[in-house]
Amino acid sequence: MENGLAIGLTAIGAGLAVGLAAIGTGLAQARIGSAGAGVIAEKPEALGTIILLVAIPETMVILGFAVAAMVLLLGG
Amino acid sequence: MNVEMLPIEIIGLKKNLQLAIQTIRELGCMHIDEITESMGISARPLTLDRETLSHQEELSYLVARIEGLLDALSVQEVESVRPKKEDCLAEARNGVETLSPTVQSLADQREKLQTEIASLPRYEATLRKLLPISPPSAHEVGKVTIGILVSRAHVGILDSIGRRVLDLTAGRAEIVASDVDTSTRAMLLVFPEEFTNDVESLLGQEDVSRLRLPSELGEGPPDVVLAVLHRRMVDIPIEIQNIDRELSRLASLWGAKLIAWRDNLRDQIEANSVLPLFGETDMTFVLAGWIPKKDLDRLRESLTEMLDGKVLVRQLSITPEIKKLTPVALQNPGPAKPFESLVNLLALPRYGHIDPTRLMALFFPLFYGMILGDVGYGLLLLVLGFVLLRKLKRGVARDVVIVLIMGAAWSILFGILYGEAFGTLGEHLGMHALWFDRASADHVAALLIMTLVVGAVHITLGLILGVWEAFKDRSRNHLLERGGMLLALISLFLLVGVLAEILPAELKTPAWVGMIIGVVLLGASLGWLGVIMGPIEFIGLIGNVLSYLRIAAIGLASVYLAKVANDVAGLVGNIFVGIIIALLIHALNLVLGAFSPTIHSLRLHYVEFFRKFYEGGGRPYKPFRSSFNIGLDYSYDSEEG
Repeated sequence: MENGLAIGLTAIGAGLAVGLAAIGTGLAQARIGSAGAGVIAEKPEALGTIILLVAIPETMVILGFAVAAMVLLLGG
Repeated sequence: MNVEMLPIEIIGLKKNLQLAIQTIRELGCMHIDEITESMGISARPLTLDRETLSHQEELSYLVARIEGLLDALSVQEVESVRPKKEDCLAEARNGVETLSPTVQSLADQREKLQTEIASLPRYEATLRKLLPISPPSAHEVGKVTIGILVSRAHVGILDSIGRRVLDLTAGRAEIVASDVDTSTRAMLLVFPEEFTNDVESLLGQEDVSRLRLPSELGEGPPDVVLAVLHRRMVDIPIEIQNIDRELSRLASLWGAKLIAWRDNLRDQIEANSVLPLFGETDMTFVLAGWIPKKDLDRLRESLTEMLDGKVLVRQLSITPEIKKLTPVALQNPGPAKPFESLVNLLALPRYGHIDPTRLMALFFPLFYGMILGDVGYGLLLLVLGFVLLRKLKRGVARDVVIVLIMGAAWSILFGILYGEAFGTLGEHLGMHALWFDRASADHVAALLIMTLVVGAVHITLGLILGVWEAFKDRSRNHLLERGGMLLALISLFLLVGVLAEILPAELKTPAWVGMIIGVVLLGASLGWLGVIMGPIEFIGLIGNVLSYLRIAAIGLASVYLAKVANDVAGLVGNIFVGIIIALLIHALNLVLGAFSPTIHSLRLHYVEFFRKFYEGGGRPYKPFRSSFNIGLDYSYDSEEG
C-alpha cells in the first residue's frame, strides 16, 4: 500500500512538472503567437524570426520534461 | 558557402550606354549598386535626357494598354517566350492600335448589356404595377403615355398635376391614378402627341420625375413596353454570349502575342530601371557594383568586345566600409541547396561569415529522423514527398518537400534502429530494436542521455564556429563570450564524466577550475554586469543543451500515440471499428509526425545552434539580368534561395 502511494505520488509529481511547465509555455506562446501573426501579416519576411520567438518558451516545457524524467527515473 | 564578390567600377563613353546595359544584362552576373562616397568614385548622378524619358513613358503606357486588353479579353497567363527584339515596340504599338478599338467597343457593349439586364427586373416590377390602371385609350394612334410614381406622403401633388394637364390639353387627356403598394401611388397620363413638350415642361416645373425607361424599351403603354422588356430579357443573354464568343476568338488570336509583347516591354522597362544608379562625367558614364570573382574576366572580355575596347572595368579596393555593403550569394552543392531556404527564413548570412547551410543539411534531417524514427511513417512521408515533388517545380515549397524527403529517409533508418513501424506494430510483425526500444521504460534513460550527448556535440560545434568567427573578426567581446562558454561547457562535460565515473577522479579539480575560468571569461565579456550575468548565461547554456531532450520527448509522444492506436484497435470488440479508430489515430500521428519534428529541428538550429556563431543580416545578391535569363546561366541564384 505504502509502495503504491509512493508510486502514485511520484507519477503526480512528474505530471505536475510537465503539466505546469506546459501551461506556462502555452501562455507565453499564446501571447507571442498572436503578436507574431500580426507581424507576419504586415511583414511576411519576418516568419523566421517569429518562429524563433514562438519557440523560445518551449524550453520551459522541455525543462519540465527533464524534471519529470528525473522524478520518474531517479525517484521512482 | 558565400560566393566571393568583388567591387567593380565600369567607365565607358556615354554613346555606348545602352549597349553597355544590354551587355551587362545579357551576362546577368553583376549586382548594380548606387555610387556612394565610400567607393571613392567622383561622378555626378546621371541626368536622363528627354528622349530616354519619353521612351520609358511610351513603354509604360503601352504595357498598361496591353494589360487592359488582356484583362478585357480574359487571356489566361502562359509562360512567355522571348520575342525578337527588333521592331517589338513598333509591332506592339501597331497591334495595340489595331486591336484596341474593336475590343473597346465589344467591352463597352457587353458592359452596357449587363447594366441593362441587371436593371430590367426593376422596370418589370414597376410596369407590372402600372399595368392594371392602364386605360384603353393608351393604345390609340397619336397618343402619348407618361407614367409618374410618387410617394404616398406627397400624393396631393398628383391631383394638382392631373388638373393642370387637363387644363393644358383642354380636357383631351385621360388621367388615371392608383396605389401600387403601401408606400407608392402611380399616375398615368394619356394625351395627344402634340402636347408632349408642354406636359414635359409642366412636369419639369413641378419637379416631378416621370418614369423613364431605357430607350431600348421604346415608348408606349405599359403592356406594350412590358412585352418589349420580356423580349429583351431573352435577347440580351444571347447578345452577351455572341460578344463573349467574339472576345474569346480575339483572345485566342492575339493572347499569346499580347503576353509576349507585354513581357518584352516590361523587360525593356526593367533594363532601363538601373539608369538612376548610374553616374556620369561630361563624356562618360560610370557604373559601380559587385560581381562574383569568377565572372570578372568574362564581364571584362564581353564589354571590351561589344564596346570596341572603349571601356574600363576596374576592381575597387575592398575597404571595411565597402565590405559591409557586399551582397551575399550562397553556393552549396545540390543536396544542401534546399536548406538555403531554411537558412534564409531566419536571415541571410552576412558576407564573409559562416554559411550554415551545409551543417544544417547534415543535422536537420538527422534530428528529424531521430525524433520520428519510424519505418511506417517514414515510408508514407517519403512517398508523399515524392508525389509533391513531381508537382512542385521550384520555390521554397519544393525545398521544404526535399527536406521532408531527407528527414523521412533518416526516419526509416532510425525506425530500423528503434525497431518501430507504426509504433509498436512493427514489434508484432517481427521487428526488433537494434539500438533503443523507445516503447520500453528500461531504455528511456539511455535515450535521454543520448539526446543530451547529441545536444552537447551540436552546441560545442556551434561554439567552436563562434570562437573562429570572433577570432576572424578580431572581436574581443565575442571571443571572451564564446571562448568562455566553450571552456565552461567542456569543463562541465568533464565534471559530469568524473561524477559518472567514466573519467578518472583526478580530472575533477581541473574541470572545476576550467568551469570557473570559463564563467569568469563569459562574465568579462558583459562588463560589470557580467558578475551576475555570467553565471546566468552559463545556466542558459546548460538549458540549451537540455533543450535537445525534445528529440527524445517529441519522439516518445509519437511512439506512445502510435501504441495507443494499436492497443485501442485490439481492445474494441469489432475488428472493423478497431481498425478505423487505429487508422484515424495513426493519421493524426502522421500529421504531427510531419510537422512537429520539422518545427523542433528548426528551433534547435535557430535558437540553440545558430545563436552561438551565426551573423545574419546579409544583403541578397541581385544580379542585373533579364527575367528571361533566370536559371539559365548560374548555379547560384539569390532569388531562388
